[in-house]
Amino acid sequence: MKMLLKRLSPFAPDHSGAVSVLFELGGLIVICDAGGCTGNICGFDEPRWFTSKCALFSAALRDMDAILGRDEHLVKKTAAALEDTGAEFSALISTPVPAVIATDFHALKRMTERRTGKPALTITAAGTGLYDSGAEVAYLELMKTFAKEKLPVEPGRAGVLGVTPLDFSRVDAGSVVAEKLRNSGWKQVDCYGMGSGLEFIRTASAAEKNFVAAPSGLAAAKYLEKTFGTPYEICCPYLPAALEEELPSLQGKKVLVIHQQFAGNEVRKRVGDNVTVASFFRMEKDLMQPGDVAFAGEEAFLEYFKENRFDVVIGDPKFKRLVAGSAERFVPFCHFAVSGQLEEGQTI
Amino acid sequence: MMGKSAYFITAKELSALGRDRIPSELISASHLIYSSPATLAFNSPGAQGFGVKRAGLAVPGSVMLLVAPRCCGRNTSALGTDGAYADRFFYLLLDDTDIVTGRHLMRIPEAVKEVCNSCETFPSAVMICITCVDALLGTDMDRVCRKASDAAGVPVVPCYMYALTREGRVPPMTSVRKSVYSLLKKQTKKPESVNLLGYFSPLRDDSELYDLLRQGGLKNIREISRCQDFAEYEKMSEANFNLVLNPEARYAALDLEQRLEIPFIELTRVYQIEKIRNQYRLLAQSAGLQFDDSAYYTEAENAVKTCLKQHGTLSFSVGEWSNADPFELSLALLRYGFSVKEIFGTIGSGNFVYVRRIAELSPETKIYSNLSPSMISYKEEDHPDFVIGQDAMYYHPSVPGIRWNGEAQPFGYSGVTALFREISETLNGRMSK
Repeated sequence: MKMLLKRLSPFAPDHSGAVSVLFELGGLIVICDAGGCTGNICGFDEPRWFTSKCALFSAALRDMDAILGRDEHLVKKTAAALEDTGAEFSALISTPVPAVIATDFHALKRMTERRTGKPALTITAAGTGLYDSGAEVAYLELMKTFAKEKLPVEPGRAGVLGVTPLDFSRVDAGSVVAEKLRNSGWKQVDCYGMGSGLEFIRTASAAEKNFVAAPSGLAAAKYLEKTFGTPYEICCPYLPAALEEELPSLQGKKVLVIHQQFAGNEVRKRVGDNVTVASFFRMEKDLMQPGDVAFAGEEAFLEYFKENRFDVVIGDPKFKRLVAGSAERFVPFCHFAVSGQLEEGQTI
Repeated sequence: MMGKSAYFITAKELSALGRDRIPSELISASHLIYSSPATLAFNSPGAQGFGVKRAGLAVPGSVMLLVAPRCCGRNTSALGTDGAYADRFFYLLLDDTDIVTGRHLMRIPEAVKEVCNSCETFPSAVMICITCVDALLGTDMDRVCRKASDAAGVPVVPCYMYALTREGRVPPMTSVRKSVYSLLKKQTKKPESVNLLGYFSPLRDDSELYDLLRQGGLKNIREISRCQDFAEYEKMSEANFNLVLNPEARYAALDLEQRLEIPFIELTRVYQIEKIRNQYRLLAQSAGLQFDDSAYYTEAENAVKTCLKQHGTLSFSVGEWSNADPFELSLALLRYGFSVKEIFGTIGSGNFVYVRRIAELSPETKIYSNLSPSMISYKEEDHPDFVIGQDAMYYHPSVPGIRWNGEAQPFGYSGVTALFREISETLNGRMSK
């Protein structure tokens, strides 16, 4: 049955993706839920939460809030928490409860900004989508809210979109990705939302170029190109060292990579066209090659492996058991959004 | 980020205000809830310990179908890899249309059938866990479960993970206790049988309660978590009475009283030895039992005395993420001669009575709410000698402490004995390093 998971468990949802982009930016993040979604995000999808402080709050919605739609009450609580924390902005993130009662997040944004006098971002995420869709909206909202001014371009400055622990399975993904690009000649490189602050977003128009390391960053890159003329390049500069070591041995073999699309494409770039890329997450059609596959769900995934065999399957360890009969070898490539596991050697 | 300092109120001030004028900073519904590692157990009981999902699987041989948007099942990924729960969780994911129209309900019977057929061993029951979405849709889950049961030929039981009703009359963790006993059917009573209701994991093996009940002639002492299979679980309905050890099980006990005519007696987990003795005396009177608890009383008393002798009148910070009510435990510590600098807890009508007593013995004890937004600015100013509770340990990472939130449940005298032995061992271990 479509939408039934018997062998897999749910992947990181949209609101977790949004939080992963906003986590380090010093804002007040309000998850508009009853408590469970916040616990899921913090306790499972946000590895940085255990080691660094973030003003992350649950709106603590109760049945009467949902029945009566008490937006004013939520705005009041948000304003009070802004005062308590001194945060620079607020970000209100939806969950299934506001989705079912059709909360007007545009109105909520206006009400919050009027009451607090500080910018308010609103991110609609029903909890039914995947993390990349939530991250995409968060990047876009950040750019639209804070990157207002057209600044002179600083030669050698580059920004990277699409770098989160959910994509890169590292709590220091921002610095390792930036380091890779610095080694390739860029003077000043930072990842938006990871390893850099709000100021880097405010001055995004000064970048000479943007890199997009995961599909979640593409919409914001296009926005920055359209608004400020900043060119962008799709490039996933970082692969785990253990995987990089394996790549030479994969030449000429029939290989399948299951990950986020740009990471999969990076493996193909380094190994060759014998690599097929597959993902449960967003696949940009014009970046797919014949044979690449976007799995619609577990059923489609299992069916695919009934019909296809590979010499090597590269993917999150969670998939290993499921592809055992269809692959000679399995090479682990952690995807935090799938298993909630960090890359080997990384601990919280 | 610079904000206000963490809000607290002293026991004296709170007691003077009274239970009807508890400051809004201590009432979770009146503000946003700060999510720090100290509040994980509150925000997501399933993330650590028992939430509705894990609790629902207390029925031996059962599997769970979570019918919800993907976000609700995300943290279950961690449980799914655990030995006891591997291959027992299944998910029917809802999309945007489902959460508005409720059309997913039509798919549940087929999904249950498919799940049962995919299991290596046919399940004893399918627990269907539904979430806030169905709470808002007003789903008649009993009806859906009946249809699913007819379709799949297996008992199907609803588990309501309605976080929205957390502070309501029947919160999720109360409701799920009723769910897990709902498959029991009426049978002839056996006077030597009793059930312990309240927890999803057993009492500590060394709990005196087992021995006291046996002394009273009760041979079959059953807890759901100790049932090896469904047949053993079914025997719980032969109990002469139920002992409710956690108020969250009262609703389930009432249901069993109505459906199966099993009466119940309530005991509370406390750490004041005199209160424990008093509770046992009342239990013996009301159940007509005879037992001698004096050896256990003495053992607990000695554990406290030994700790005092070895380490003096320690000062404590007490948290709520532990197997104790932090206010009752604090009162116990004060009565034993220790001091309590801070309590991290959620005050309500049930435990306000302890605040009054604490105020008499230690008026300057600071009371914090883990959930207050101002806790983001909490700073360690006054180091206690020891901390109890995982949340308190988060606030005082360098102070010796114990989580005291293990799965085996402490209860009665043996709980007191174990607590003070663990405190002593922790401090002795640090001294020997």
